[in-house]
Amino acid sequence: MRIIACVKAVPSSTEVKMDPKTNTIVRDGKQAVINPFDATALECALQACEALANQGADVTVTALSMGIPATADLLRDCVARGADSGVLLSDRAFAGADTLATCYALTLGIEHIGNPDLIVCGKMAVDGDTAQIGPELAGAFNIPCVTDVSEIREVASDHIVVTHVTDEGHDVVEIPLPAVITVGKDVAQLRMPSIAGVLAAEDASIEVLTAADAGADPARCGLAGSPTQVVRSFVPERTHDCTYIGGDIDTQVHALANLLKEMN
Amino acid sequence: MSGLLIDAEACVGCGRCVRACASGGIVVEGERPNRCAHVTDSCILCGSCVDACPVGALSIERDEARTDIDPSAYHDIWVFAQTDAAGAVLPVAFELLGRARELAAQRECRVIAVLGEASNADDAAANALVAHGADEVLRCQDDRLATNDSGVFAHWICALAREYRPEVILYGATDFGRELAPGIAVRLQTGLTADCTVLEIDEKTGLLHQTRPAFGGNLMATIMCPAHRPQMATVRPGIFCAPEADANRTGKVTDVELDAAVASRVRVVEHIPADSQASIAEAKRLLVLGRGIGSKKNLPVMRRLAELLGAEIGCTRPLVEAGWLEYRHQVGQTGVSVAPELLISLGVSGAIQHLAGISGAQTVVAVNEDADAPIFNAAQYAVVGDCVEVAQRLIAQLEAR
Amino acid sequence: MTQIKPLGAEFEEYLRDESRSVGSAQTISFPTCEDEIRSVLRKLYPAGTPITVQGSRTGLAGGAVPAGGHVMNLSRACSYLGLRRDDAGVFYLRVQPGVVLSELRKHLTNKSIPTHGWDTASLLALDELYAGPEQFFPTDPTEASACLGGMAACNASGARSYAYGPMRGHVSALRVALANGDVLSLRRGEVRSHGRRLSLKTESGALLELDLPTYQMPHTKNASGYYVENDMDAIDLFIGSDGTLGVICELELALMPVPAVTWGVNCFFGTEDAAIAFVDAARPVLERAAAMEYFDAEALDILRQQREASTAFSALPKLDAHYAYCVYVELEADSQKEATSELARLGELLEAHDGSRYDTWVARTDVDRESQRFFRHAIPESVNMLIDERRRTFPTITKLGSDMSVPDDRLADVIALYRSSLAEAGLESAAWGHIGNNHLHVNILPRNDADYAAGKKLFLKWAAKVTEMGGAVSAEHGVGKIKRDFLTVMYGKEHIAQMASLKAQLDPRAQLGRGNLFAPETADAARKEAE
Repeated sequence: MRIIACVKAVPSSTEVKMDPKTNTIVRDGKQAVINPFDATALECALQACEALANQGADVTVTALSMGIPATADLLRDCVARGADSGVLLSDRAFAGADTLATCYALTLGIEHIGNPDLIVCGKMAVDGDTAQIGPELAGAFNIPCVTDVSEIREVASDHIVVTHVTDEGHDVVEIPLPAVITVGKDVAQLRMPSIAGVLAAEDASIEVLTAADAGADPARCGLAGSPTQVVRSFVPERTHDCTYIGGDIDTQVHALANLLKEMN
Repeated sequence: MSGLLIDAEACVGCGRCVRACASGGIVVEGERPNRCAHVTDSCILCGSCVDACPVGALSIERDEARTDIDPSAYHDIWVFAQTDAAGAVLPVAFELLGRARELAAQRECRVIAVLGEASNADDAAANALVAHGADEVLRCQDDRLATNDSGVFAHWICALAREYRPEVILYGATDFGRELAPGIAVRLQTGLTADCTVLEIDEKTGLLHQTRPAFGGNLMATIMCPAHRPQMATVRPGIFCAPEADANRTGKVTDVELDAAVASRVRVVEHIPADSQASIAEAKRLLVLGRGIGSKKNLPVMRRLAELLGAEIGCTRPLVEAGWLEYRHQVGQTGVSVAPELLISLGVSGAIQHLAGISGAQTVVAVNEDADAPIFNAAQYAVVGDCVEVAQRLIAQLEAR
Repeated sequence: MTQIKPLGAEFEEYLRDESRSVGSAQTISFPTCEDEIRSVLRKLYPAGTPITVQGSRTGLAGGAVPAGGHVMNLSRACSYLGLRRDDAGVFYLRVQPGVVLSELRKHLTNKSIPTHGWDTASLLALDELYAGPEQFFPTDPTEASACLGGMAACNASGARSYAYGPMRGHVSALRVALANGDVLSLRRGEVRSHGRRLSLKTESGALLELDLPTYQMPHTKNASGYYVENDMDAIDLFIGSDGTLGVICELELALMPVPAVTWGVNCFFGTEDAAIAFVDAARPVLERAAAMEYFDAEALDILRQQREASTAFSALPKLDAHYAYCVYVELEADSQKEATSELARLGELLEAHDGSRYDTWVARTDVDRESQRFFRHAIPESVNMLIDERRRTFPTITKLGSDMSVPDDRLADVIALYRSSLAEAGLESAAWGHIGNNHLHVNILPRNDADYAAGKKLFLKWAAKVTEMGGAVSAEHGVGKIKRDFLTVMYGKEHIAQMASLKAQLDPRAQLGRGNLFAPETADAARKEAE
């Protein structure tokens, strides 16, 4: 069996500021880290793999990403933590992809890896916050999808049982495999690698696929393949000033009551 | 050829783009005055450098999109009408209808609600959608649509969209909406903008200007989908105002079919209703108590206030240590980090360990006797005074209403 | 103008610190700068009002718990004052005492040091600081919400003291206000004692001729009593003086470049002997180890229970059932390659000492390091919660935490001492701490008043034995009020009296930090003698 965990490299900080001198947006380009939700996804994949292995199945976990060449280090880290292999889609042609074009590239990566039984994604990425990749992948393969999973209850060779967040609470659902699940951050905490894992991953090779390797249609990749375009970005204004509510206690309480009423 | 363009004449070689880039996609090389930015193989065209450039030397160019789509063949604004387990339309659908009406008025098109419900459902939901602004309701009463199954709904809505060609489809960014809409986007091969807070339309071209937060709300982006249809967006509940229902409004209800071949692949084993004893980590409103409440005997006052405000109770560490409240109420570095929409802080001085746990709160109202208490640095509204007295009088005011 | 306010119910929390002991005081002030500190001191000097200086109140020895009189809380004196760079390229940051360590770290990482009121030279130095490799302040007490003034007052240490030593070496200058409001400006390297005689000149020109105590300090990690040596630097007398000699108004901190690579490794063992043998073997071999920490079986069990019991701790990494003892090693390196080869060497050491390369957690990312930090921090936190629970039945008990260190060759001996005497007394305990410095915090967890009394007795016995081994009774927490009896055991009554008379020369009305290091009566007796 084959489990694929989709991971994305995101900036370690999502802080955005306005440079008061130049009136431009400053996103401090810090080191890339694994998207925290995807870290959970990898851990869920590893746990599912262990559960299946205990049932006697022959299971592998592959970490898949689309990113710049340096993202290979992130995948190597996934291998150190227990993934069997890592595959990276990396090409200038993939640059500027929105969710649809990203989904297209990942679809090719998944087809390259072949025959996935379970695809695990983080619920969303902390830089884009779109939460679209998981359900789009499921749509692309026309397989079932359960989003915002809060607990994996059972993993079997042909189905899984998970609890996920719904608008009215939680549902426990059973879905046949292959399927896509997206996981919340608190489902599991990604394990740290052992010394043995780190040293073994040093020698592991990460497969890097270009657009041509993946057999991609250039018109569906990257900027060219993205239906959506960002036409403007700006930093929202926020007021951090503290307003002191003065006067005697009656005035204060009256103002406070009105304030709370407004917020209702 | 699309990509990042650098205007070497305009570039001053300041290096802000390099600092803004998280992927090593741009470098500044050369000696002044020929020092200039250069793009590398690692550029992901994210646009961070474009935003950071103080002289406008950077831009992202894209080739004219080549699609076979003729935007003029698409018309009307659709609103997906999600229902709850009892079959009632969720408020967010009415909110979307309200905004869709305004957009439709500019664009001079119709607003159409899309409603899937159980086979035995009555007309209440469809009527409510008309009363809130739908010109037409495309309704399918079929037991496969009785539960919120994103696979079944996606097949159904895709089939409808292919047939009717809407210009815009709006979805509530509910848990279900966020699962459903991407599945439709990928099947229709179109764009989808998540969690929009502002929607505007160009009345001539029909282009939807969709503004949404990214980077955890630290950055806003306006997004368009010029060459693909339908243009799709999700909107969080509470962003737009629902119009008053108008029982006299008239609209058409059109019953449509769901393809017989579509079957659910998800089996719901168990429904678990939302937790009644909510954790303070998820509380929307939180009343946080500190030592300034003086004594354990003041707790009932605070509980009453919390009840009137519809707030959960949190507290600082000393109160837990003193045994006044249980550990699950403790807010702060060693307790729970909270992110309520409204946090009312009573008698809390604001030790740094506590402040670390409330940084996610949207609005903080603090009451404390000490005008210099650090809690006020984290508050948007401050009342200097005895928090017990303030609480008591506030209760009186709220009860009087 | 800073106010001396009555200490009413709203300030009750300022009567306590992390030691969980509660004191009393009549008034409180929150000065925000040196002038305000001095003005408060001058107001209180005529009446000789006792003054307890506080920072973040994170101390574990009760040093910030007031013993009557006035509380001077410096948490609002938290400005960054300036920066300079010396010829060797070292950056020195001037701060007020209330600057919190975690804030300082954040500002250094984010290049966001507040520069309000800085002169041009400082701003230029700051540009250089930000242009160069990232800098940090190496002292890292477990509690990062400690403030710098408090850390200097007790000569704080932390895990990384294994490589970087305690706070002392990283403080290059201090401004200290004396009880009468006069100020000493002390810069490292400028004033030394002659033997045990130290002459100091205050800014108002007063000359102080001080006789330093005559004891020899142990050759181990040590925060017990005044730092005295022949021909010592004057600044060192005030660092670690537990707020008894003066009020720190300003510190200058020497910064260091952040190591290129820092990896944390938790290594798990089945037995305590294996863990100790590993530490003994690793010390000479792992040259780039910045920290070596220890957690015993009881400490790990408390974490296991806490992880199950409380959602706030559910993010703790899961401990495998066979992980009984843990040694945490922090490796620093100039490159990933070097770090990897050090890691391989660490793996070989483990395999040679009944450990395994598999039974380890390696943290190479911020998230994982944060996990390890949470793990380390959760242990004392959980123990405190356990004791808080028990205090509801037995209000007089507190956690009893030891803070003793011994020389390298006595590590196994001191652990054997702890184990045998704990077993004999039938006490519950959990031990953790800085095993690289032979410095464990053995925490007795009293279940009732009798346990509490027995634990206190045991600590006095340990104080004597550790002194015999050439160790120190307080290696990092300072003596405060809670450990002053141990100080007598370590140095003897005569040397304590010498410390008190030194204090009387600087604080003639015995106002400052009453009850810290020695009993108020001892200070009063020395004062009378001086008069």
